[in-house]
Amino acid sequence: MAANAIDQTRRMLSLVTYLRERPGAHVADVARAFGITEDELISDLDVLPMCGTSFRGGDLLDIDTDGERIWWRNPDASGESTAEPLRLAADEATALLVAARAVATLPGLRESDRDALLRATAKLEAAAGEAAGASSRLSVTFESEGGVFADVDRAIAERRRLWLRYYSPARDELTERTVDPIRLFAVGHTYMEGWCHLSEARRTFRLDRVAEIRLLDERAEPPAIEPRDLSEGLVQPAAEDPEVVVEVGPGGRWVAEYYPHDSAEERPDGGLRITLRSPDPASLRRLALRLGRDGRIVSPPELAESARKAAAEALAGYGERI
Amino acid sequence: MAIAKAERLMNLALCLLGTRRPLSKRELRGSIEAYLEAGNDESFNRMFERDKDDLRELGLVIETVENLEGEPGYLARRDSNRLPPVSLDAEEAAALGLAAKVWQQARLAGAASGALQKLRAGGMPEAGDPYEGQHSAIEPRIPVHEAAFEPLMLACRDRRPVVFDYRKSNAARPEPRQVEPWALECWRGHWYLAGYDRDRGAERVFRLSRITGKVRSRAGKYTAEVPDVVTVRETVASWAGEGGERSALIRLRAGAGYPLRAKATAVREGADGWDELEVPYGHGLDAWLVEFGPDVVVVEPADLRADVVDRLRAVARG
Repeated sequence: MAANAIDQTRRMLSLVTYLRERPGAHVADVARAFGITEDELISDLDVLPMCGTSFRGGDLLDIDTDGERIWWRNPDASGESTAEPLRLAADEATALLVAARAVATLPGLRESDRDALLRATAKLEAAAGEAAGASSRLSVTFESEGGVFADVDRAIAERRRLWLRYYSPARDELTERTVDPIRLFAVGHTYMEGWCHLSEARRTFRLDRVAEIRLLDERAEPPAIEPRDLSEGLVQPAAEDPEVVVEVGPGGRWVAEYYPHDSAEERPDGGLRITLRSPDPASLRRLALRLGRDGRIVSPPELAESARKAAAEALAGYGERI
Repeated sequence: MAIAKAERLMNLALCLLGTRRPLSKRELRGSIEAYLEAGNDESFNRMFERDKDDLRELGLVIETVENLEGEPGYLARRDSNRLPPVSLDAEEAAALGLAAKVWQQARLAGAASGALQKLRAGGMPEAGDPYEGQHSAIEPRIPVHEAAFEPLMLACRDRRPVVFDYRKSNAARPEPRQVEPWALECWRGHWYLAGYDRDRGAERVFRLSRITGKVRSRAGKYTAEVPDVVTVRETVASWAGEGGERSALIRLRAGAGYPLRAKATAVREGADGWDELEVPYGHGLDAWLVEFGPDVVVVEPADLRADVVDRLRAVARG
């Protein structure tokens, strides 16, 4: 847990500066200000009384808590060392600046938020000085459809139901649906999570697949559901979904990068045998067609057959035979 | 029980920040309980060097100054370690609070919260509830699933040449590449590295998910100049077939292929149940068109038509 020791040290150094100014601070307030749990704060407060400029000289930090409030009885013992916050490290400046710049470029973001981000970025760059330099080595772009983003954002703020014409690539069709929006998030692309009245289930919609959107005057009443964990992949196949086996040559290895899969075995030709799961294997016909000579569906056989039929039918459109 | 590392680092930081004159290693060892318990000189020295590196990682500027006897002493001067005053209003504080939650990578997530805590200690106001409708409801997240990310981020920061095995998109086997890393960029949820490829003697862009095995650092300096502006996105966008200058004419069944319609520069509705579209012809258009199966027929150019027919034939033969 070496990384944790670094994070904890960094936090404790800021904490002593913060506490110095606030005798009798409330545990709950300090934990909120530092974005940590009360337990994490208490464990920091357990360590601090062992710290000081010499364990012999009796100048250890006399920081004490009754679980509700925090007192520091000898703030002068540590001299000037805790009087001011420390300069930003290169990684710290990078982490905040890169993120702030990325969010500020999101199309559809409210202008007041964008302005606040840009002002904060400029102040932070000035305060970080040289440490800000490394942040030019990282950049992130979020993709978003500005108009759709702004409508979803407004619908969430005003708790209104949305009407969508939405494209589903699996079926190559547009469907009309009403959705009670729950949240708006960006992970590379920008998505809305909402309660879909057409499928009577929670659905995630990619904003660049929304062909048309309207705010309705009805109130959105999504059922209370646990928000999904965004650190997991967005597509989480279920164990009971049917299995699909795809064999690809070297030119089709990208399949393993784009599709969550159970296994990918190396093949002697430099290709892969990929086993994945899909709630609707028919939707993978697109993949079979796209692969061309770089791979083929091994199972289920109906899927392989439907791809062959589609290709033969398409060839007929060119007046070509197999 | 051994003294926790955070306690040891905290003590070292307080000693170095609190002193006005350089402290020798001997003095520090006498002041910090964990160092007394460290055992012999060798293990103390190792621990001490590592701790100094860790504190530098946190942004502490530690100076080494020799005293009259030629013995090195250490101190962290206040004026080189102080955060200059930053006056952020509540709106700006809320904006930074949102930005700090974006990273899904442990090191950068820790660094972002650390930065926010320093600003908080410097008096940054606390934001109100972000979900009261005054701010965008957006939750941006930067995904980092690639193991190569952290070593490459550090290599870009410290300008260290690296070696890694890389498998090109259509290659059967990975090959070793020697690279001077310039910058990392995340686009559509994937990370890319731009840098100078020493064997090819030119700039190259690498997709991090295609790096196999470990990224290893190499000693020495960069041999090529690092450009001021690195344009990863343009390169990747051209891989993705965007910015194609040519145009293709296709027939598309009515009602089908919405994404093709969204990209089309011209659409003419036909009376026979088929529409005619002009679409930009960039890299990868052939594979994309084949996905629509019998709902698309390429009219021109002839090379695209031939590519699509070729691909269809491969699928039809199974």
